[in-house]
Amino acid sequence: MAQFRPKRLDLGCFTNIKIIRDHTKRKVFEEHEPERQALRFMIRNTSLPQRTRAQAQLQLTQMHCYTRPTQIRNRCIMGGKGRGVFRDFRMARYQFRMKALAGQIPGVKKASW
Amino acid sequence: MATPSYARSALCLGKRLKLSPPPNPAIQCQTRGLRQRATPAHALAGTSPSQHVQKRHESTQSAVEEAQPSPPIDAATAAKELQRIRLPRAVQATYLDPLRRPSRYHVKTCELQLRSYSIRNLEVFADFAMRAAYYLKLPASGPRPLPKITERWTVPRSSFVHKKSQENFERITVRRQIEINDGHPETVAVWLGFLKKHQYYGIGMKANVFEYGGLEVAQDMDAEAEAIAEKLGETLDLVGGKRSLMNSEEEVQGMVESEPFKAAWGAHAAMSGAQSVPHAHKRIASHVVE
Repeated sequence: MAQFRPKRLDLGCFTNIKIIRDHTKRKVFEEHEPERQALRFMIRNTSLPQRTRAQAQLQLTQMHCYTRPTQIRNRCIMGGKGRGVFRDFRMARYQFRMKALAGQIPGVKKASW
Repeated sequence: MATPSYARSALCLGKRLKLSPPPNPAIQCQTRGLRQRATPAHALAGTSPSQHVQKRHESTQSAVEEAQPSPPIDAATAAKELQRIRLPRAVQATYLDPLRRPSRYHVKTCELQLRSYSIRNLEVFADFAMRAAYYLKLPASGPRPLPKITERWTVPRSSFVHKKSQENFERITVRRQIEINDGHPETVAVWLGFLKKHQYYGIGMKANVFEYGGLEVAQDMDAEAEAIAEKLGETLDLVGGKRSLMNSEEEVQGMVESEPFKAAWGAHAAMSGAQSVPHAHKRIASHVVE
């Protein structure tokens, strides 16, 4: 969503629209996390009146989808791929293989046992 | 000359010396290794030292005939003398295992874990840390090798269809642990700071520091809290809600029970769970103006 995006590109790595989108989602989620948590707390708190809890539910569902943590997906920093991305290296499997064979990932070697 | 004279090997020296009529045994038998640095410059220079000495002797003979000439330096004895000079102890110690100080009370004060992907770097730095601990008079034990952490990844060599052909990668993290017993907290902090300052490449460090207090922990903590309160001054009042407001219990109770407050959280609405809904005139906050 363009309204959340900064005027200037604030990314230094490989960029394509999917990466920018994901980055925006992360930032928006970070910004709204306390609000989301507060609403979640109100919804689950049985000592609060039903009405308050229902209102909190409504408010939570009406928040923008970019504020949801489930929107965030790890993407390959080298090629922007969304599948087969290693959390340890933030790279998709093929990029990881190339880098590892080139010796550019510290400590990673070809294994044989 | 392409190579400097000191860089040439002893064999080379021997060759050169054969050209001069009296071969000099003193230089041929000189020890190699550590001691080599201590040999005099003229012994390693191109000309043989005996010649050098002879020349100097001739030139000064007439002038200092009666002024008691110093006995000519014999190269063999000079080399022997030089061999006898020992390296400073601290330099010698670098070739030996790091020294350790015995622990007296066996009270653990610090655990330092070093991690690396390369065993050589790790060994070097663990050794360095042990030496640093020795010179800071900290009784250190270790470096104790901890189990390796092996992580393995398997990836297809190419695209999805060729799943059968895969490749394995691994990353092995080696670890060493150094324990400090009976260390003064400040000294331990100095040691850790020193290690951090001289960090070696490819080495990660983490330390658990244990501090011990007296039995009057609660009193100490109270005193500390008071000291902090003095430092913070008024700002402390704002920590976790305004303290000065919270002091009197009745006031807080009154605030919570006041109808406008209840209304704000929805007590007056349907399904609110409140016992009863007050009349309209009670819903307005009223203050008596004196």
